[in-house]
Amino acid sequence: MSVVTDPDVGLVPGPVHDRIAALSRAQGWYGWAGHAAPSVLDTVEFEYFALRNQAALLDISPMHKYRVTGPGATAMLNRMVTRDVRRIAIGRVGYAVWCDEDGMVIDDGTLFRLAEDDWRLCCQEPMLSWLADACVGFDASVSDESHSIAGLALQGPTSFAVLRAAGFDVARLRPFDLTDAAPGIMVSRTGFTGDLGYELWTGWDEATALWDRLWRAGTDLGLRAIGYDAVNIARIEAGFLTAGVDFQPVHAVERLHRGKTPLELGLGRMVDMAKGHFNGRRALAGPRRHPRSLLLRVDVEGFKPAQDALVYHRRRREVGHITSGVWSPTAKRNIALAHVAMPWARRHPPDLWAEIYTLQEGRWDRRMARLTPVKHSFYAPPRARATPPGLT
Amino acid sequence: MTRHDAIVIGAGVNGLVAATVLARAGLDVCVIEQSDRLGGMATLSVDDGPELAHLVHNLSPRVRRDIGLDPHRWPFRQTALPTVALDESGRHVIVTRNAVTFADGTAHPDARACLALTARLRRYGELLRMLAEAAPPGGDAPLASARGLRQILRLGRFGLGLRGLGRAEARRFLQVLLSNAYDLIRDDLPEGPLAGMLAADAVRGIAQGPRSPGTVFTLIHRYGHGGVAALPQGGMSAVVDALAQAARDVGCTLRTGVRATGIQLQDDRVCAVTTASGETLLTSRVLVGSGPRLAAELVGAGAFDIEAMRRIGRIRARGVAAKVNLRLDRMPDVPGLNADQLRGRLVFAPGADYVEAAFNPAKYGEMSDNPVIEAVIRDEGAIWLSAVVQYAPSDLNGGWSDAARAALARRTLATLGRAIPGLDARVRETQVIAPDAIAAATGAPGGHWHHAEMTLDQILTLRPANGIGRYAIGPRGLFLCGASTHPGGDVMGLAGRNAAREVLG
Repeated sequence: MSVVTDPDVGLVPGPVHDRIAALSRAQGWYGWAGHAAPSVLDTVEFEYFALRNQAALLDISPMHKYRVTGPGATAMLNRMVTRDVRRIAIGRVGYAVWCDEDGMVIDDGTLFRLAEDDWRLCCQEPMLSWLADACVGFDASVSDESHSIAGLALQGPTSFAVLRAAGFDVARLRPFDLTDAAPGIMVSRTGFTGDLGYELWTGWDEATALWDRLWRAGTDLGLRAIGYDAVNIARIEAGFLTAGVDFQPVHAVERLHRGKTPLELGLGRMVDMAKGHFNGRRALAGPRRHPRSLLLRVDVEGFKPAQDALVYHRRRREVGHITSGVWSPTAKRNIALAHVAMPWARRHPPDLWAEIYTLQEGRWDRRMARLTPVKHSFYAPPRARATPPGLT
Repeated sequence: MTRHDAIVIGAGVNGLVAATVLARAGLDVCVIEQSDRLGGMATLSVDDGPELAHLVHNLSPRVRRDIGLDPHRWPFRQTALPTVALDESGRHVIVTRNAVTFADGTAHPDARACLALTARLRRYGELLRMLAEAAPPGGDAPLASARGLRQILRLGRFGLGLRGLGRAEARRFLQVLLSNAYDLIRDDLPEGPLAGMLAADAVRGIAQGPRSPGTVFTLIHRYGHGGVAALPQGGMSAVVDALAQAARDVGCTLRTGVRATGIQLQDDRVCAVTTASGETLLTSRVLVGSGPRLAAELVGAGAFDIEAMRRIGRIRARGVAAKVNLRLDRMPDVPGLNADQLRGRLVFAPGADYVEAAFNPAKYGEMSDNPVIEAVIRDEGAIWLSAVVQYAPSDLNGGWSDAARAALARRTLATLGRAIPGLDARVRETQVIAPDAIAAATGAPGGHWHHAEMTLDQILTLRPANGIGRYAIGPRGLFLCGASTHPGGDVMGLAGRNAAREVLG
C-alpha cells in the first residue's frame, strides 16, 4: 500500500466505525488506506461461512473513489485503461486495469458508468494525481470522492433477500448493473467474493443509516458483519487479484522491474489492442508483448496453505513464488495464485512444486507440494449470475 | 490528395535542413510553413528591420556537407567579427580569436589568461561536438546491430577524445562541465568587461544567470564551432536562402502560408497532415519543427502516453531575450572605437556580477533594469543597430504591453548610452520584438532561443524531455526536428540533420 499512516494521527474511523466496533469481539483491526478496518470480528470461520452460506456485510468505504466527468471523460478513460470503455453501457460497471508507459500495471479497479460522460472509478491505490495527469489534453475533470462517498458490500447467497427485506427493488439487476435504488443510494451488483452480492454506495454521513437499515432487514436472513480475512479467502477462491499482494502497483515500487504487465497477470482479455492508443499500448505491442512470467491459478497438493512459498520446476530450479495461498473450505481444495517465470509457466507437463515450510510446535519442516495449474476460478457458484437471484 | 514520403512542419533552419537530408536519401519531401517566409526565428523581422538573429556562431559544417553544399564554403560570404567588450570609461576591449587588446591597441593585462580560457573552451567544444553531431546515445537498437555498433563506436571516439585532452585537462573538464560559468571565468579573470563579455556569452538566450549551475556547458556550447561570431553578408536571409536552395535542388517542395491543423493516424502510425485550407497531405512521416507541444496538439493528447504528456507540459521554455532594433540617422561616435571596431560585435556587460544582477529581476517576472546587450550596427542603405537584449522574460508581469515594450526600449537606450554617449539623439525608429511576439510569429515555445531551456536536465537524451530524446515521439512516423531537440538551436542546423538521420534509421 502506498498510503502512509501518520503516527500522530493513527488510523481514523470509517463511516460506520461505531457499528463495527460494537460488533468486534476479536478486536482485530488493520489499516486500510488510513482507516481502521476489521480483519476479523469474531472468528474467520464464522465470517467466511456467513459469506458463502448466508449474507455478509463489509464496509468498503476506504476504497479510493474518483469521479471523472466532462465531454471528454470517456475518451480520457479510454486512453488510460487497457479495455475499451466505450463498450461499458450507461448503468453498467466494468472491471479495468491501467498501465504506465512501459505497460506495467499501476492498479486495477471498477469503472461505474453513471451517465454518458459521468464515471466513477473505484480502486485500491491513491490515483488522484495520475488521473489529473491523464486529463491533460482532454475536456474532462476529476474529483476525489474517497471521503464523501461510502460503500457497503453485501455479499452472499441471501444478500438479495436482505436487500428485498430492506425495501430495495433490485430483482432485475444483472451482474455488473448499477441502479439508483433509493434517493441517494446507488446499488451495483458487484463484489470481491465471486458470489452473489451487491455494493451499496451512499453519502459518507448516510452510511450508518444504511448500515442499520440492512442490519435490521438481515436479522432473520443470517446477516453477519465480517472482516477482511474472510473476504480474502473468498477472493482467492474467485481468483481475484489484490494490489500489493498478487502484483506490485508499479507506482508504489522503487526497485526496477518489479512491475507486471496485464498479460503477465492473466488479464490479457482486458487488453484491447484494436481500440486505438491507450497508456502503455506501444510497450505492450512491442517489447512487452512476450510475458516474462505468468500469474497462475494452481491447485496445491496436500492441505498446508502455500502462502509465500517458493516455486520450483522439477523440484530443482527456482522459477517463481506463491503470492496468495489458502485452504478453500468450499472447494475443499488447497488453492493458490503463483507467479511463475517463462517458459516454465507454459511447460507441459508443468512439473511445478511449491516448497512449503511448516512450523508445528516448535519444529520447522519443509515439504514439496506438487502444483497443478487450473484454468478457471476455484469456486464460481451459478447463483452469482442468476437473474433474478435466488433468495437463499 | 497529394502524397509525400515525408512532411516537415515548419520551415525554420532545422526544418529546411531535415527536409534536405531526407530528400537526399531519395524521399519525396514537402515542407509546409504557416507564415509567408522561410527561416523561422532566424529571419523574423518587422518593417524591413534587422532579423531576429544577426550573427552566426555555430552553423555546422557537418550540416553543410549533409545537405550537399560545397564541402568547404557556404554559398554566402561571412565576415568574422571582433568582439568589443564595451566599457563606460572608454577602455573598450577588443577580442578576436588570437588576440585580446584594448581598443587603442595597447596590451591587455589579462590577454594571456583570457586566450588560455577561450582556447580551453574551444577544445571542450570540439569534444562535445562529437555528441552534438549524432542523436543522443541510447534507444532500442540492440548492441550487436549496425546502429548499436555505430553508437558504441561514437562513444568510443568520445572516450578517446576525452583521453586526448590529457589526464589533468580531462579531469579539469569533468570538474567544470556541470559547474557555473561565473566561477570558471572569475577563477582566471578579474571582474571587468572581459569577464562580463564571457558571462554574457554563457547565458545568451537562456533563462539563467552566470552563477546558475550548468552555464559552463552553455558557454562551451557557444565555442562549439570555434566561438567566432560571423556576420553573413545579406543577413540571416542569405543563410536561409542557401538552405532553401539546397532543399529545392534536391526536389523538396517548400510551401509557405500553409498551416497544419492536424496530423491523422491510422493504426498508431502517421498517415496524413491536414491544413487550414482543408487540404489533406498523405504521408507516413511527419517532422515537427516547433516542438513537442505543437506535435501533441496536432495529433491529440490521446495518441501519447500520460507520462509523455506530463513531461511535455513541464518542459521549461521561458524566453528571456528580446530584440530591440534602432534605426539611426548616422553611425554613432563611440569614444575610443574606430570605425571598423564599431562594426564589430558590441557586448555591453561591464562585469560578470552585472550579468548576474541583470538576471535577478527575470526570476520574478520583471525585465532587467540594466540589461545585457549584444549589438551589431550595420549600414546597408539604412543604418540599424540590432540588439539582443536580455533579460526580458516571456512571462513578464502584466504582459508585454506597449508600455512594457517602450520601457524595454528606454532601458536599452539608457544602457547602451553608458558606452555610446548621445545614442538616443541618433535614433529615428525603434522596434521591440519581445519573446511573446517571437512565440506568436514563429511558434517557438515561449519565444525561447532554443525552444527549450538549455539546462543539464534538458540536454542529450533528456532533450526536450525524458522518453522523447531521440527525435521520435508518440505514434510511429512522428518526429521532432527543431531546436527543442538535441543539440539545441542557435542557427546550427544539427537538430534537423540528426532528426532526419533518425527518420532514415
